[in-house]
Amino acid sequence: MSGGGIARGRLAEERKSWRKNHPHGFVARPDNAPDGSLDLMVWKCIIPGKPGTDWEGGFFPLTLHFSEDYPSKPPKCKFPQGFFHPNVYPSGTVCLSILNEDYGWRPAITVKQILVGIQDLLDQPNPADPAQTDGYQLFVQDPTEYRRRVRQQSKLYPPTL
Amino acid sequence: MADFVEDLDSLFDYRRVQPITIPDDGDDDNDNDCHVKTPVPSPKKRKISKHTVEIVGGDREVSQVTNDDEDWLLPPPKDSSESPKQIDEDSTIKELRLRKQELKAFTSKECLFQPKRESDSVQVALESGAEESKPHHERAKIVVSIQDKDEVKQFRVYKDEKFERLFKRYADKAKLQIESLVFMFDGDKINLTATPDSLGMDDEDIIEVLAKKN
Repeated sequence: MSGGGIARGRLAEERKSWRKNHPHGFVARPDNAPDGSLDLMVWKCIIPGKPGTDWEGGFFPLTLHFSEDYPSKPPKCKFPQGFFHPNVYPSGTVCLSILNEDYGWRPAITVKQILVGIQDLLDQPNPADPAQTDGYQLFVQDPTEYRRRVRQQSKLYPPTL
Repeated sequence: MADFVEDLDSLFDYRRVQPITIPDDGDDDNDNDCHVKTPVPSPKKRKISKHTVEIVGGDREVSQVTNDDEDWLLPPPKDSSESPKQIDEDSTIKELRLRKQELKAFTSKECLFQPKRESDSVQVALESGAEESKPHHERAKIVVSIQDKDEVKQFRVYKDEKFERLFKRYADKAKLQIESLVFMFDGDKINLTATPDSLGMDDEDIIEVLAKKN
């Protein structure tokens, strides 16, 4: 917990601004620590699939893991293990340029931008940067089956009402 | 990103327009909370006295008098005792205090201004203030935003008021059944008996509304 002053301060700000303004259908909030308090370093999020795409109707759970080096370093963003998408590792970790400290990450990128960026990625995979075999191969070789799998997965994550 | 910021600007205009579109609600009890202006003459008196009540209640203790017109103002008696406790539980307490101070400052301005125009309303205000001084002291208001897929609307509610009331207003205005809507805060469905205080809400926090699937 030491040295996390900057990270926590920034995350508290992110939290505050998110509560007042965020895109519809998205959820992002710090996880509950075992003692019942909020753990600012881990956020539980929900990304809704974009309307009009095969991802529509899905509300995909995503966890953001922030390090003490945040915002110098980006958070690790994870879908559930085995999530079907060309740019998601089998572990569920999202592979996206803005989430890579050596490429697109900038400390000014907000949680909101991260989540919207990942929502965009869902329907616009980047075939140049595959992270899993299954999703990647179907995407490039069998678009019909790929879309079927995407729609099937979207049904697996209905809204939590 | 810029879109969201711009959204907020238009919201404020919207809020000012809202009161006119509430036809039925608020006749029998204290619903006029978000009304900035009212076309009818008598509600004006109400409004003035209500604002005044909050202030007067804060620093004066008088006892006497009833005024039938003002009965609708009566808040649930639990307010002053409960809300501070609930606030204490929340980590955003400083925020809340600041907001509360802002609100008080705001109401006191109106209070100074309005009685000048209508001198007998001062009397009414003082009387009802005396009558209600304690309960109104802690009856803080909050602005909450309700967001659907198209837009955000803002509402002013008491922090200790059950959401059921706000949601009914919202549903009426949207011409929807309240049963067909789900209201979420922070990813959780909001219970109708919850209050902004009980959820630890801050000014302008967003409630998301979704249509239930049928």
